[in-house]
Amino acid sequence: MTSESTLFSNRWLPILLVAPFMLLIVLFFYVPIFQAFYWSFFLEQPFGGGSIFVGLDNFARVLSDREFWQAGWRTIVFMVTASSLAVLIPLILAVAADRKIRLSLPARNVLVWPKGVAGASIGVVFAFVFNPFVGILAPLNKAFPGIWAPGIDGTDAFITLIAAHVWGGIPFNFVILLAGLQSIPRTMHQAAAMDGAGPWRRIFDVQLPLIMPQLFLTLVLEFTESVTSAFALIDTITHGGPGGATTLLVYKIYKDGFSGYDLSGASTQTAILMVFVILLTAAQFLFLGRRINYER
Amino acid sequence: MKISILAAAVALMAGACSAQAANIEFWYGNTGPVETAIKAQCDAFNAAQTQHKVTCVGQGSYEVSMQKAIAAYRAKNHPVLIQFFDAGTLDLMLSNAVVPVQEILPDVKWDNYIAGARAYYETSGGKLFAQPYNASTLLFYTNKTELEKAGITQTPTTWEEVIDAARKLKAAGHACPFVTDGDTWRVLEQFSARHGLPIASRHNGYDGLDAEYVFNTTFVAKHLQNLVDWRKEGLVKLNADTKAGNYTAAFNAGECAMMEGSSGSYAASTKAFDGKYQLTVNMAPMYKGYERHNTLVGGASIYVMKGHDQAEVDGAKAFLDFLRKPEQQMAFTAATGYVPVTNDVLDAINKSGDAKAAKYATAAIGIESMNQPPTADSRGIRLGFYVQFREIFMEETQKAFGGQQTMQVSLDNAKKRGDELLRRFEQTYKGVKLP
Repeated sequence: MTSESTLFSNRWLPILLVAPFMLLIVLFFYVPIFQAFYWSFFLEQPFGGGSIFVGLDNFARVLSDREFWQAGWRTIVFMVTASSLAVLIPLILAVAADRKIRLSLPARNVLVWPKGVAGASIGVVFAFVFNPFVGILAPLNKAFPGIWAPGIDGTDAFITLIAAHVWGGIPFNFVILLAGLQSIPRTMHQAAAMDGAGPWRRIFDVQLPLIMPQLFLTLVLEFTESVTSAFALIDTITHGGPGGATTLLVYKIYKDGFSGYDLSGASTQTAILMVFVILLTAAQFLFLGRRINYER
Repeated sequence: MKISILAAAVALMAGACSAQAANIEFWYGNTGPVETAIKAQCDAFNAAQTQHKVTCVGQGSYEVSMQKAIAAYRAKNHPVLIQFFDAGTLDLMLSNAVVPVQEILPDVKWDNYIAGARAYYETSGGKLFAQPYNASTLLFYTNKTELEKAGITQTPTTWEEVIDAARKLKAAGHACPFVTDGDTWRVLEQFSARHGLPIASRHNGYDGLDAEYVFNTTFVAKHLQNLVDWRKEGLVKLNADTKAGNYTAAFNAGECAMMEGSSGSYAASTKAFDGKYQLTVNMAPMYKGYERHNTLVGGASIYVMKGHDQAEVDGAKAFLDFLRKPEQQMAFTAATGYVPVTNDVLDAINKSGDAKAAKYATAAIGIESMNQPPTADSRGIRLGFYVQFREIFMEETQKAFGGQQTMQVSLDNAKKRGDELLRRFEQTYKGVKLP
């Protein structure tokens, strides 16, 4: 408290400064979330005008719905595969870039640009890139007709989504991981090399342990983001199809709420999904975060 | 999170709407040539009189328009006139957010509307809930030029003939003989109606909210299995099988030779075919041995929303009156291919001397198709949360087309999931009687 009061002479000023942001958070996060929890105990008529308290009926309905569990399972598969790839690939790139360091400054700047591309735009581009007739896999389709059909085959559509997500995740994770690698003192490499450690050994015994904080950060961000941010990609590339194969929970919630007018069911699923994400992040901090040594 | 999108939508609505007296808003969902025609009607209305001014707002699609209307209605920023599509009929009837047009405009001769159009939108007491606007129905389109190249001179009228023609086209090296998107409206609703098959019990829900889906036990199941088999044989293609990625685009580009499509696509097809191919439109094909019944009126109609003052309601009435005028309906039909569904407009077309003209081609065939002998199950669809059911049906049948499960399993699943929707709808509107 004392250090803050030396910075701000008026004690209301800091509150005033964060107020606009807090207001936005309350308006666009806490209020809707509260509403979602509230609606999850009611059967809500789409146009308003009548809602019936149903207790835990909505939860019972959602939790006994096969579609919900399937969407949940797809969400987990997507989360695990897409976010591990979205960390692994930048890690490889960063380790490679760290060795030849001269271009790293411009590279860092150029490579981060895709981070500024909205998910929906990535989706539109990837829909073209993976189009079975004009995309990069079109020659493969010419040779073996029907081998790549994201519009018919659910697995192909899922792969397209993962590729788009990983591509979008590379820049940010690359910058974070490269920064971690760069902060490892040269002397450590030199000492390891003098002890006879080859490049591979140095990666596994020196570099990776020392960038654990960065790896942890990217993993936590990726895991939580892959649950929610897949929406833009799904909405532009697959629309949840074919046959629901790419309907992750976020997309199912949108579909149920907005085209099914099932405000109660969508709210219930939102509540469940949010609790899941919170638990997941907490678990990561509990089980992974503790083991990480932030001291150098 | 999705909820924040809802909040954002509500916030946007709050800023976007204005409600001055005699200044009314009309929301629609169409795009492309249809949107152009709608805008032209709005401009014409504003030019024809000075008392009222209508602002027409395009929302990009029927679904989005409905989503926004729900958000806007809850925020009390909704327009007085809104176009909704066929699938949302029961949701709106029970929404308590709209006033039946026939109540607001009691003096209009509503029996001027053809029976097929009335049946879809009227209450059990015979009151029209909405004014049919861009009415359409399912038609069968062929690329006559391509068919003739393959030696087919007679346009097929039955499914058996369609498939014969498809085999000939395939033998002649055509990559895409028949195309459909497998849309619920096309393969389930219009098919069931014209073959006299029920989709759900209680006459598709007209007799009560306790209806259950039955389509998985009717001849539709056989037809859909046929589509799967024909696709394997290379005769039928789906959206994703075409280069264009969309069935109408594929047909319009000449990639596919035959399609089942809405009369509303007619304008785009004639424009695309101009100078390249010859187009034919006919009633949708039947299976041999089945008597032909009417096809359903599709497209959308205009609803008057509650909660507006008298000046706005007057403006809305004036705009609805304007849209019903024969010359307006004729111009709209000529520009879009949507079907006029009032008898006086059909008379006016016949008298105009243009009756045989290409621009009115869909009017004659569409009306003929909707005027076939009706059954109690071909009146329409009065089922709750039907918009979502359409998606469930698509999702499940896509699995069958993709080879993951048989069509019968898909249909049984769709019935099961659909019945869950109906039961939830019944519970949501507990104690509410069908109007």
